[in-house]
This record gives sequence, C-alpha cells and structure tokens, in this order.
Amino acid sequence: MTTASARSPWYQRKQTRDIALVGCFLLPSLAVFFLYRILPLGWNAMLSFQSWSPLKAAKWIGLENYEEMLLDDDVFWDALTNTLIFIGCSPIAIALALGIALLVNSDLKGAAIYRTIVFLSYPLMTVAVGIIWRWLYDVRGGFFNYVLRSTGAIDEPVKFLQSFDWALPCVIAAEFWQVLGFYMIILLTGLQSIPQHLYEAARVDGVPAHARFLRITLPLLRPSIFLCIVVGILNSFTSFDLVYVMTNGGPGHATELLITYIYKAGFGQTRFDYAAALTVVQFLLLVVLTVIANKLSGGNAGSLER
Amino acid sequence: MRRAPTWPRHAIMLAVCLLMLVPFYWVIKTSLTGENIYAWPPSIIPVNPHLFNYVDVWYLIPFPRYLLNSVIVTIMAISGNLLFNTAAGYALTKQFPGKRWIVLLLLSCMLIPFQATIIPAYLITSWLGVLNSWLGIALPMLSTIICIFIFKASFEAVPRSLIDAARVDGLSEWRIVVRILLPLSKPAIATNVILNFIWSWNAFLWPLIVVRSPDMQTLPLGLARFLSVMEDTTGALFAFVVMVLVPGLTIFLMAQKEFIRGLTSGATKG
Repeated sequence: MTTASARSPWYQRKQTRDIALVGCFLLPSLAVFFLYRILPLGWNAMLSFQSWSPLKAAKWIGLENYEEMLLDDDVFWDALTNTLIFIGCSPIAIALALGIALLVNSDLKGAAIYRTIVFLSYPLMTVAVGIIWRWLYDVRGGFFNYVLRSTGAIDEPVKFLQSFDWALPCVIAAEFWQVLGFYMIILLTGLQSIPQHLYEAARVDGVPAHARFLRITLPLLRPSIFLCIVVGILNSFTSFDLVYVMTNGGPGHATELLITYIYKAGFGQTRFDYAAALTVVQFLLLVVLTVIANKLSGGNAGSLER
Repeated sequence: MRRAPTWPRHAIMLAVCLLMLVPFYWVIKTSLTGENIYAWPPSIIPVNPHLFNYVDVWYLIPFPRYLLNSVIVTIMAISGNLLFNTAAGYALTKQFPGKRWIVLLLLSCMLIPFQATIIPAYLITSWLGVLNSWLGIALPMLSTIICIFIFKASFEAVPRSLIDAARVDGLSEWRIVVRILLPLSKPAIATNVILNFIWSWNAFLWPLIVVRSPDMQTLPLGLARFLSVMEDTTGALFAFVVMVLVPGLTIFLMAQKEFIRGLTSGATKG
C-alpha cells in the first residue's frame, strides 16, 4: 500500500468526522436559538396577519389586526407614546452617567468605591427594585413625601404613582436608578480606551478643558454612547418588570408600555394574534431606532455587530 | 502643573452615592421597623427594631418552595450554559464549511430581544409540553450567544501547539476541551456563571408566562404575588425583598471584576 492512496481516504474520513463533531457541538445551542429566537420571530410575523386563538382555527385576515391597532386602538397609541418617552429620556441618564464616569475616571482617591456603589443597583432583581421604589413613592411611608413634607415644599402628600402626571416620570426615575451604573461602566470602558497622549498633546498646545472634552473625549466615545443608547432602547422592553410591579400600566394607561400592553393583550385577553401584531410594531420600532442611533453616532459604531 | 482641588469632585460623588444608597436604606429600615410602617412621620431610624418581619416571611408565604424553584431553575440555566456554550464556542474555533453563516446567524439572533418573541415562545413551550415546569422556565435560558463568543475568544487565546500536543497524545476532542481548554479559561467560566446566575435569578416576564400553579413560582413571581395579595401593608414584604436581594448582591460584591468584565465584553465585543 502506498502512503498516498492510504492517506486520502483517511484524510476524508477525518474531515467528515470533524464536521460531524462541529455539528454535534453546535447543535444544542442552535436548537435553543432556533426554538426561542428564529422560529418565534417568523411565527410571530405570520400570526400577526391571522385571526387565531387556541380554540379556533387560523384564518388569514391580512392587515386587519394592524388596521384595528392603528385606527381604533387608543391604548396602542398611549403605549407607543409612553415607550417613545421612555426611550427619549434615556439620553438624560446617559448624560448623568457620563458626568459620573468622568469624575470617577480621574485619579480620584476612592474612585473604585464610588464605582461599586453607583453600580450596585444594576444586578438587582427588577421586581424587587419596583417594590422598593413603589414604597419610596408611598403617600405615608414613602421617602419622597417625607422629605418634601418635612422640608415644607408641599403641604399635602403627593400620590406619585396614582397621578396621571407623575406616574410615568416616577417609573422612569426608578429605571434610571437601576441602569445608571451600567451606563457608567460602559462609558468608563470607553474613556479608558482613549489614548492619554492625545490629552497631553492638547494640553501642550494650550487647548482649554471644555474644548478637549468636545474635540477628543466626545468623538472617541461615540461607540460607547451608541451602545448606551441601544441599551436604553432595549430597556423599554425589559422594564416590563418595573412597570408591572409599580403601576401595572396605570393609572388608566398612563404608564402603559408596548411590552406591558402586549402581555395584557396576549395573556390577559388571550388575543394572541393581536398581541403578535403589537410585537411586530415593537420590533420594527427597535430596529428603526437602532439604525437611526447608529447613523447619528457616525455610522462607524458598528463595533457592536462586527 | 496647576491642579484643581479634589474636594468638589469628592463632594459630588458623595452626594451621588448617597442618592444611590437611599433606596437600599429605606427598604432595610422598613423591614426592621417593628411597629406600623405607615406611621406619620416615618422615622429615619427604625423604631423599636427587631427581626419579626423576617420570621413572618416564613409563615406568610412558602418561601422555601420559591427558593427551591429559583435555585433549581438557576442551576439548570447555569449548567446548560456551561455545557452548551463551551461546546459551541469550541466548535466555532474550528474551520468548517458554512462557518461564516453560522456566525452571522448567531450575531443576528443576538439582536432579537427575547421579549419580542414571547407569544410564539409560549405556544412553542406549550407544544413541547413543558409549561409550568422547571425545564420550561429554564429552556430559553439554556444557551446565551454572548457567552458562546466569550468562550470562543478565550479558547482562541490558548496556544495552538498545546492543543496539537494533546491531540498527538491521543486525547479525544471532548477531553481536550475539558482537560486543556477549560482549566485555562477560568475567567470565561466565571463570567458565564455570574451573568447566567443574574439573568435566571432575576428573570420575571418569562416565568410569569410559563408558570401556572403557585407551587412552581420562583422568587420574583413570589414577590409579585405577595404584593398583589397583601399590598404593601406589612413590613414582611420588605423583609422578603431584602432576603431576595441578598444572594445577588453577595455574588456581585464577591466577583465584581468578573461581573463587570463580562457585561462590558458581552456588550462591546458581541
């Protein structure tokens, strides 16, 4: 037997074995993602064009679900507006986090302790955060009413979470408290990747501090800021826990987000088809906003996808 | 060089930290308050402090049952992630036809938030027949794309020659992973365990959808149920909150570095 002829089937066998191995190793993860990401996305899109409930057969109804949503459903518009306000407020939190990040990034003594404390609220269970904040806003036992009343700023206690004007800002403030540390960490990582010699060169050239910030720090932070904005957009989904516990969308629908409305439509009223149509809108909103954020941050912030 | 004094910065940071800590303090204070928590004005320090509320939690709700459910689901999620992500991460370090497509597929899956798929995910879970079970709660959390890439990066950092030497010595592929690669990837393992612990421990929306019977409820569901049954009328609710938060906080404080690295690498490297 010559080596050449023996080698090629052996090599082929080895290659098939390698591919089989790769397949086996990848299969469990891919199965999970197929079952819970890809299949649901497709099914969801299909469901949104159907009339279906667990008890009756599916029927294609075209755009009827969407028509109902866009033309007849005031709650949908409330939920959409609130979601957009929710997302629109996240730049405030990002700006605050940037301020904190700049402070703790300097050679401040004890910066590590400050960082830990600011970040401490992020890994908490959101349901528990909701309960804590609900209590802080409480009319009698709450911290805010206590402070406001004992300093004489108000005479009557404010029913924060029961008021149409205050409920949404209050929920957003609770969300800020939880996510601020995460923004700070992302921005800190970004700040630390900016080469120090740029600042030194600018200082030698006599560039004033605010110009250094505007011309060096901000442009080089773009990818991190983009990331924060994406996190802010995604938080309008994940804040379900917070809203569910704090107000459950109330009073009326003053704090209804799209995600809480989807839950109510799907699992409260068993209108899976309509909830699917709502989900499609929410997902498209996410995609569109992410693309816009990417464009605004200079379009080069694709480091997330790359 | 002239330097600005540091005290204003300290002052700002102290104020920020104080604001961040107030909610923690307020809930701990309330949980220790022995008397009516609605008394006006609320006192800054707990009146007549004792641990009565913490004992109460054990009588008012099936706390051990919630804890058991949470622990089992979390263990399932963590072990599933370690096993599947290691395997997938190792497979991705190899060259094979269609690899580019698999990577692209995984990256685009990462952009689909789980919350955007809940309706069909519920139907699929019900079709699989695992509604209202530990497996049903853990199933979507059994593998995480971010963590696969963390493992991949960590495995790629191991020198090729070491793997080749092991292969020459006749180690099987699985043994190479377990004996050579994993011991050299401790930070990746830590990141995996911590991130998945936090995610599955805190998960609320998915268990809320899947769980039907009270004895399958996890801690977050127990909290929400307690709130809806009792409203916030008793200090026991806040004792419950503190008890639920302690494990997460402990893990975070013990492994802060790995935790933060995991979050940032997951978020930036994709």
